[in-house]
Amino acid sequence: MQRRTSPPLQRLRRQFFARAGGLGLTGLFGPAAWEAMAESFVDFPFANGRRELVTNFPQKGAMLLERTRPPLLETPFEVFDQGVFTPNDRFFVRWHLADIPNVVDPATFRLNVRGHVTQPVSLTLDDLVRKFEPVELPAVNQCSGNSRGFFNPRVPGGQWANGAMGNARWLGVRLKDVLERAAVKGGALQVRFRGLDKGVIQQTPDFMKSLAIDHARDGEVMIAYAMNGEPLPLLNGFPLRLVVPGWYSTYWVKMLDDIEVLDKPDDNFWTTKAYLIPDTPFANVKPGQQGVKMVPINRMLPRSFFTNVQDGAVLKAGQATTVRGIAFGGDTGLAKVLFSSDAGGSWQEARLAKDYGRYSFRQWEVPVRLSAGPHRLTIKAVNAAGVAQPEHANWNGAGFMRNVIESVSVRAA
Amino acid sequence: MSAALRDVVLIGLGFTFGIALTSAPAWPQTPGTPAATEKGAKGPVRTWAKVEVKLPTSSTLFPAGNGADIANGQCLICHSAGMVLRQPPLTQDEWRSEVNKMRNAFGALLPADQVDALARYLYSIDGSRAPTDRAVSDGQGS
Repeated sequence: MQRRTSPPLQRLRRQFFARAGGLGLTGLFGPAAWEAMAESFVDFPFANGRRELVTNFPQKGAMLLERTRPPLLETPFEVFDQGVFTPNDRFFVRWHLADIPNVVDPATFRLNVRGHVTQPVSLTLDDLVRKFEPVELPAVNQCSGNSRGFFNPRVPGGQWANGAMGNARWLGVRLKDVLERAAVKGGALQVRFRGLDKGVIQQTPDFMKSLAIDHARDGEVMIAYAMNGEPLPLLNGFPLRLVVPGWYSTYWVKMLDDIEVLDKPDDNFWTTKAYLIPDTPFANVKPGQQGVKMVPINRMLPRSFFTNVQDGAVLKAGQATTVRGIAFGGDTGLAKVLFSSDAGGSWQEARLAKDYGRYSFRQWEVPVRLSAGPHRLTIKAVNAAGVAQPEHANWNGAGFMRNVIESVSVRAA
Repeated sequence: MSAALRDVVLIGLGFTFGIALTSAPAWPQTPGTPAATEKGAKGPVRTWAKVEVKLPTSSTLFPAGNGADIANGQCLICHSAGMVLRQPPLTQDEWRSEVNKMRNAFGALLPADQVDALARYLYSIDGSRAPTDRAVSDGQGS
């Protein structure tokens, strides 16, 4: 078997070996076979969790394939150890509808603002770049269903592990400024966003999401034309994407070309029937619980992750090691990130790296020196509003908003 | 952000399109120093170029079984098989509710009299039998 040596693949292989070993499967194949296979897929630790690592999507590097059409591509978790910003070519991809234009021509592309406005406008990309004040904001874009595969009991939907998220520097214009150009009329209630994608058959409802008018005009929601200093990859929404800082990705409409101001509540399928959560703390309910009020998903919750140690890792006993990862506060900044090396018995504050703003990932690290034997390492984020990741996993029937504290079992030897 | 920084980014935009969309330079980048500034500085390209990509297709078919023809004929109209095959094991009722979601929410053309047959088939290839792997669906479109 050919041995590849690029560091990401080595990491992937180690991760795979750890998991395969944990599942007791190593006896089924010779080591060489495992090695070859480990380079092409990852097994997430849940049923039907095998994900092929693919490189055949345009403007994308190696991604974990969940579905080809319309694309669902997960970021391999090792990418999050490489820096606080997620490279565009490794940024996760999630489309609902399969009729995605494969050509976008800026010469003909227009962003239309219409509806309950005095002056409908039709803007070119150059208009946006030149006629509005540019703003740049680092922000996490996380799928509502990130980590759904870990729900127990399992729920249908995109079966992501933890890689349906990413952090980028978004450059664009304030939605508020664009709405002002169109002169929103009094009595406006919501603003509805639509992109260029469509369903394959006429009967499929267009993907549209709405924000309350005050949210749309808060000066933070923006229309991004660049991501990490480059145009967006087509699969991440080229040429324009709505950026709704602190809110789940479902609102970050890709290939945005239509903004409609509404004077009555949006009744479209994607707002009224899909992406609903129980109106409870952490959107948490008991499996099978009935009669819970449902509301549209909205603000994100704090999360934190290990990025340089994985379940099953072996660390050197008695030697200083740095354990590190990323964290974010959700809809506000991080207050602190707490680390435990005794399964949550005692906690210490992790050192936080540079702060890129309250909506960004932030790197954390902790120096550790572990005695020989097994250890359960745990990480917990607390945001500026005092919201901490829960000790027990939140659960709901749609598989949204998982944010339980993360743990890894390691051994020092 | 300063006008200077915006110009740098604009140069970067033009430059990126000017070379190759398949080899995005990307990352890591130090914030405040966007990509491609050195080469882009040869001349400010301030136009947006057309982007054209080819999206991969899937040739994966549903595994053989009684009802696979329905799945291949109906499900693959709107999406490839991958996400279906990667669902957790579901009960037959849950598979039926997923199939009905496709018809009622997304307008799938599947005839009503094939719903049960398709649910049976999906259960046969990815069915929940043990209480421990029980999944729960709330029937949303996401």
